[in-house]
Amino acid sequence: MSYTAEMRESIKKVEATRPRRMEETHRRLTLEEQQDLLRRFHPDYLREGMRELRVGPNAGDRTPNEFADLLEARSRVDPRTFDLSRVDYDTDVLVIGGGGAGASAALLAQEQGVRVLLATKLRFGDANTMMAQGGIQAADRPEDSPAIHYLDVIGGGHFTNIPELVEALVMDAPEVIRWLESLGCMFDKLPDGTMVEAHGGGTSRKRMHSARDYTGAEIMRTLRDEVRSRPDIQVLEFAPAIELVLDDKGQAAGAILMNLETGDRLLVRAKTVVLATGGSGRLHYQGFPTTNHYGATGDGVVIAYRAGARLAFMDTMQYHPTGAAYPEQILGLLVTEKVRGLGAQVVNVDGEQFVYPLETRDVEAAAFIRECKERGKGVITPTGQPGVWLDSPMIEWLKGPGTVEKALPAMVRQFKRFGIDIAKEPMLVYPTLHYQNGGVLLQTDGSTTVPNLFAAGEISGGVHGRNRLMGNSLLEITVFGRRAGRAAALKAKEVKPGRLTLEHVLAWERQLAEAGLNPQIVSPLLLPEYTRHVR
Amino acid sequence: MAIPYYPGCTLSTRGRGYDASGRAVAKALGLELQELQDWNCCGATFPLSMDNLLAMAGPARVLAGARAQGERVATLCAICYNVLKRTNHFLQGDAEKRERINHFIEAQYAGDLRVQHFLEVLRDELGFQALRQRVEEAREATGRSLEGLKVAPYYGCLLLRPQKELQLDDAEDPHILEDLLQALGCQPVDFSHRVECCGSYLLVTSAELAADMSFGVLQSAARSAADLLVTACPLCQYNLDYRQAEMARQHPGFQPLPVLYFTQLMGLALGLDATDWGWELHHVDPRPVLTEHGYGQVFGVRRSEFGGGPQRTPNSEP
Amino acid sequence: MTEELVPVFIMGKRYDVPSSLTIMKAMEYAGYQLVRGVGCRGGFCGACATVYRLQGDDTLYFGLACQTVVQPNMYLTQIPFFPAQRAEYDISTLQPRPERLFSLYPELLRCLGCGTCTKACPQELDVKGYMAAAMRGDIARVADLSFDCIMCGLCAARCPVGEAQYNIAILCRRLYGRYLAPRSQHLEDRLAEIRAGQFNQALEELKSLSLDELKARYKARQIEPE
Ligand SMILES: Cc1cc2nc3c(=O)[nH]c(=O)nc-3n(C[C@H](O)[C@H](O)[C@H](O)COP(=O)(O)OP(=O)(O)OC[C@H]3O[C@@H](n4cnc5c(N)ncnc54)[C@H](O)[C@@H]3O)c2cc1C
Ligand code: FES
Repeated sequence: MSYTAEMRESIKKVEATRPRRMEETHRRLTLEEQQDLLRRFHPDYLREGMRELRVGPNAGDRTPNEFADLLEARSRVDPRTFDLSRVDYDTDVLVIGGGGAGASAALLAQEQGVRVLLATKLRFGDANTMMAQGGIQAADRPEDSPAIHYLDVIGGGHFTNIPELVEALVMDAPEVIRWLESLGCMFDKLPDGTMVEAHGGGTSRKRMHSARDYTGAEIMRTLRDEVRSRPDIQVLEFAPAIELVLDDKGQAAGAILMNLETGDRLLVRAKTVVLATGGSGRLHYQGFPTTNHYGATGDGVVIAYRAGARLAFMDTMQYHPTGAAYPEQILGLLVTEKVRGLGAQVVNVDGEQFVYPLETRDVEAAAFIRECKERGKGVITPTGQPGVWLDSPMIEWLKGPGTVEKALPAMVRQFKRFGIDIAKEPMLVYPTLHYQNGGVLLQTDGSTTVPNLFAAGEISGGVHGRNRLMGNSLLEITVFGRRAGRAAALKAKEVKPGRLTLEHVLAWERQLAEAGLNPQIVSPLLLPEYTRHVR
Repeated sequence: MAIPYYPGCTLSTRGRGYDASGRAVAKALGLELQELQDWNCCGATFPLSMDNLLAMAGPARVLAGARAQGERVATLCAICYNVLKRTNHFLQGDAEKRERINHFIEAQYAGDLRVQHFLEVLRDELGFQALRQRVEEAREATGRSLEGLKVAPYYGCLLLRPQKELQLDDAEDPHILEDLLQALGCQPVDFSHRVECCGSYLLVTSAELAADMSFGVLQSAARSAADLLVTACPLCQYNLDYRQAEMARQHPGFQPLPVLYFTQLMGLALGLDATDWGWELHHVDPRPVLTEHGYGQVFGVRRSEFGGGPQRTPNSEP
Repeated sequence: MTEELVPVFIMGKRYDVPSSLTIMKAMEYAGYQLVRGVGCRGGFCGACATVYRLQGDDTLYFGLACQTVVQPNMYLTQIPFFPAQRAEYDISTLQPRPERLFSLYPELLRCLGCGTCTKACPQELDVKGYMAAAMRGDIARVADLSFDCIMCGLCAARCPVGEAQYNIAILCRRLYGRYLAPRSQHLEDRLAEIRAGQFNQALEELKSLSLDELKARYKARQIEPE
């Protein structure tokens, strides 16, 4: 595969400017410049990309078209005929979603001595958590403090975050690292035990903990192994939730699952429910490619909304500035921010810098789009995809030969498969849909506006405000996964369950009709539609 | 002289005292054991059916890897020795099967490696006469010697058999261990079961039969008034040593007998620091009887810590 | 530009697909709605283990469907699931010792060292090498060598003696992370400070600031140099 002749020409320029660039880094933008850049180039600000919701607790709020369609769709379940008297699984805490947040919740719930059922859509661990490469933040060095971490999070979120949630995030962080380690996560350390910590976009201290560039995988597989080690937690794979079930007091009381292989419906009765279904990159807002896993279709937000949960920050998505733009086979896949963290600069077709490499993600992404769309300084691939260069060979110059191989094995492997050696050649990148900043509105204990319904992880909204910093999501899923799991279990011990009902689904149908909507599609989506059927 | 060395798995775990003492002894004698790079398990059993080529892939890979690093390889473990040498023999004798295995392990091994047991190196390259000399020097320097210690040299089966393939010594009437012990200045005792199997291979199929066999070996050594028994095989060592607690329960009057690796005894005779030679892994603690012979300090222990007299209580499980 | 189509055989059935596609995208192009055998689509989750042959070539190849580009006359099938042993344990009461490894996975000692696992690993890990280390009880080395394992299960699927290499590997990594990795004193110190309430006041203050004050603070942050 490797690069085309035209791309090689441009790479020559990148190489030519490299010695000079080793000495100079583009300046950081001022807050005003950042705002201007965002308004003009960030996809969140594109008018045609969003519309106002017409029904539900967030009626009137701007939401991406693709998500709004699903939020305003019909249920996959017919509430008039579904038999709620036949219960297939009875449990105390039902955790929906087998990613990092779900696994953390299941563990902490089990520790309270209740029965736990974890249901997930694909295999346990087929999740965005598995894909995180860069790291997890926690202020645990003497130079750093939870207060400084707080400022970074709030500023990164453009001062829109919910302060109490941020406080919980930063104060629990060191404890979470300790917990993960006690379960067996192998964080990168110096021989004396000092954690190796790096900067991420928007951080003022180095606090990114990593496990080579498999940080999320290391966390996910460790949590998964721990869940499997505990007989009191039952795991159901290939069993996505398609609707929540409430009781006649309006409390969450279970869910209807679908056996993905047989299509059968399964009814789970639970005392409390934790939603941890993750993000929605596979909805491909505005046609953007995504870094997300196959199952990231926003299901949990959809069923929570139908059950009456309030959402927050639905009009903001995170576009990761460095998605692979070439080769086509890995279009949209993440090139970890750690590459820039290690010192690689971003340059245009002429090999010139145009932005500070570690601006917050939204600003960085907007700058890439401007460079390509407005200034015409992008590199165009054979399929017409624009991109800018991420100068990874600089890392070898800065940190010594062999650093790329050692610090970025997953990245090296990814590109080597297509004949590109990133220690010697730069990577072509362009923004890709990465993270759902908003979602189900949370309290600090993971509770939502629906009684007995908890949520944690990427499904939620409020922690990151309008923009999440790298490394705060792996942190969020463990901090709030643990909090939600614990709170859900404690609540489960005192709940007086009522009679199961799907009344809220009937009510939803009425609301749709009142708003004059007659949607033809059903939701949640469950799986993206990529098949091409001939005729 | 550096000798390419294959430790094997057991010597990295339960037999680490064998490994540590062997390396120390070799170094002191100027025969440094240099561990092979990147080795895998030998398989621990030589496949008894000749068409079981897959089971030979592991040892064949070890041989091919060792050949790429030198002309020979030495082992301490009698099992590894048996498996590697026999595999080598097989590969030398059957060019066609050698090719098939080579294809599978993606190597081009020609069968031209020399597999040695460390005992052979001592006998044929250093020579027991030279060893005796070194022991004398150590005795003069330290004032300690093994004189008067009665040692049962136990061969077991894997070190010698099949004789045609291994050719280490006469399988029915060997004397390499006796010669070695003499060079060390102690007194080898003759006992009837020295080339009998200790039964460890039967542990899984018939624990009872295995127990009888080990008991026979120890009884026979005890009748010869041995103070301790030495072996070159980690499996024999473990089996003979570990089972004694049970024997003591079943046979009133049973006298525990420490089971050592020959290298541990060599190290003592050569006056080396023996602190780290896995003594804690022995179930029947050999230190009291050795302390009696004046070797207390080498363990970093004074004699009185063992309560003065010979106290051969089995250690608890490590 | 019309794309070149090449024939591939999915479970024996022929489909003509664009030559630039990965196996996964080719299956979707052919009309499969994937449920099993797909996860991250980025080479991290191990859901898409695939075995294939090329016509006229006697070698069996292994790869991840999401990472491997199709080739003409490729015969392929996915192995989305393979039964493998997993020991029951409680990591908090284990000891990081070889004996524990052997007692939890006694079959470990059956490994022939044949290396079939290494050939099957789509991550190009030295599986045989870490199994050899495991048999030696070298837990730290297993953890290091197996670190990039995505637990796709191809090693176990191919093993002639039925080992579950990847499960042994994760046990070793967890033992290493929990017991053998050097402790982080600065982390312990920070936890003690948090327990002592040392940051409570600073956070209360930050939460009470007006937007403008907060912005000013944010702007005035000292950025730690690279
Ligand atoms: C490529 C990539 C790199 C990243 N790098 C970093 C990083 O370096 N640092 C960082 O902090 N963050 C990073 N992130 C973000 C972070 O990984 C995720 O936001 C976080 O892991 C989400 O965890 P989660 O548990 O909420 O969701 P997930 O891990 O996505 O888990 C959600 C689970 O729910 C399941 N599910 C979905 N729908 C249903 C349903 N209807 N019923 C049942 N189950 C369902 C899914 O299949 C999945 O298993 C990255 C994300 C990606 C995609
Ligand atoms: S789909 Fe996850 S590795 Fe291929």
